[in-house]
Amino acid sequence: MTDIEEEVDFEVDPEDLGDAPALQVDSDRLSLLVNDLHVSYRVFGAKKVGHGPARDWGLLDRLVRRGAKQPAIREVKAVRGITFAANHGEAIGIIGVNGSGKSTLLRAIAGLIPPVSGTVHVAGNPALLGVNAVLMKNLSGARNIMIGALALGLSRNEVKERFDDIVEFAEIGEFVNLPMKSYSSGMGARLRFAISASAVPDILMIDEALSTGDAGFRAKSKAKMDEIRESAGTVFLVSHSLATIQSMCTRVLWIHEGKLVMDGEPREVCGSYKQFVADRKRHAASQK
Amino acid sequence: MADNHLEQIGVRPPLGAYFREMWRYRPLVQTMAIAKAESDNQNTYLGQVWALISPTINALVYVLIFGFLLKVGREGIDNTIAFIVVGVFMFRFFERSVMAGAHSLQKNMNLVRSVQFPRAVLPTAGVLAELTVLGPALVVMCVIAYFSGFLPIAGRVTIDWYWLLLPVAVLLTWVFSTGCAFISARLVAQTPDIDNLLPHVIRILMYASGVIFSVDRFVSQFSWGWLMEYQPVAVYLYLVRSSILNETAYPPDAFMWLLGVIWAVLFSVVGFLFFWAGEERYGRD
Repeated sequence: MTDIEEEVDFEVDPEDLGDAPALQVDSDRLSLLVNDLHVSYRVFGAKKVGHGPARDWGLLDRLVRRGAKQPAIREVKAVRGITFAANHGEAIGIIGVNGSGKSTLLRAIAGLIPPVSGTVHVAGNPALLGVNAVLMKNLSGARNIMIGALALGLSRNEVKERFDDIVEFAEIGEFVNLPMKSYSSGMGARLRFAISASAVPDILMIDEALSTGDAGFRAKSKAKMDEIRESAGTVFLVSHSLATIQSMCTRVLWIHEGKLVMDGEPREVCGSYKQFVADRKRHAASQK
Repeated sequence: MADNHLEQIGVRPPLGAYFREMWRYRPLVQTMAIAKAESDNQNTYLGQVWALISPTINALVYVLIFGFLLKVGREGIDNTIAFIVVGVFMFRFFERSVMAGAHSLQKNMNLVRSVQFPRAVLPTAGVLAELTVLGPALVVMCVIAYFSGFLPIAGRVTIDWYWLLLPVAVLLTWVFSTGCAFISARLVAQTPDIDNLLPHVIRILMYASGVIFSVDRFVSQFSWGWLMEYQPVAVYLYLVRSSILNETAYPPDAFMWLLGVIWAVLFSVVGFLFFWAGEERYGRD
């Protein structure tokens, strides 16, 4: 298990983020209700993936597949029974090791992956979005802003109005007319965030997007997140950086192997998670 | 839950709401279509000119092989060059539309997995992109068809009032192709293997529709000949040819126009319903 080192990164200096704790917006109204959610997806040509041991396939099966050890299609159970509710104005961090189902959970909450069982209910206009991959790399930044913002449900005029703001927020300047593939990873992440935040969504979901930004951009995106929460939105943030989570979130969910392990105060949950990762690391070291 | 105004998501919207949403997302369809048409030939020196050159070369190869080497393309046809050029240009549009629909979800998976919008936008935009490319190609098609009439071996092509019907014929073909793109989009999204079969199915359809030679011979020879004559692709080729060519075997025919309208409505409605019925599954695979 050499990948454990990647699980927790401390690349973010806590000083960058400021000492101020995450802004508290009080609200008792529910914005999201997730009830016993199960999500799985098909993977073609996959080897062993997901959790649990691979099935032992019989001789006949293997003959049909001409000796391939695994079937061509695997059903990956990424989320296995998660229940929680979120209020307006909350900033919820989601932590967990790689492959624990964080991103899949976000997509299911956004209505992008239909659940196998269980339900997701969302308040009002479910203008949900993810920040991870809205864009098309062959197209220019300007085209991506148009397509991304229109897909989020803005009208043509609204996109025109906010175009300059998006470019300015993303700090991409002249690059806006070049294809996305010429962008640095930081520029791409900033543009994605700017497009997603432009619609002032009811629920903003940020999946690892901030890890590529510099300190200045991180401060800006935190301000934007607070703005969204003040206008009664809910923010979800997936990050491997516990420092980022602790400074930006009011509540943290810890997910492991598709199940909810812990749900509570950022300090408390991050502490337990740190302990868990350290234990696993020690365990892995003693196995060598 | 009513006091919190929560709505369930991740489920298929009702048909009426879905259609209204689709209508609201018109600007996205247009923007995506233009972006796709522009980016298609982006990585070449000649760029968009290829949208005109490729179908022309394609048509000329068929003219050479079927019109002059095999001669099968000349039976019962007055102007072989114009006949094949019109057939190839129009069929190419249909073929590319179906394939654009088939790939529309896979190619835009990033968008599908990050934003919630009616997925029918994607195949619609894919076909619209082909239509924008077809526009200039049609001019080339008409020019070639007209000037081929001056060759000594070919029948004359005259410009008459029937040429005004060409946009209508193209419009019907577009509506029909969009319906087909809906169907291919859902089939390929559910079973990616179909993507490998599609080109072969389309190839068979090409030979069965009289794209490069007249199918009249088969039509009169077999009892099921009417099937080949009245199937949609053959009908649209007939409509376009009867509009701009002077072929004696392809006179303007009101019944064919009626069929063209019926096929367009039928395929677009059935295709849309078929695509909508799979809506909630598209991001999953």
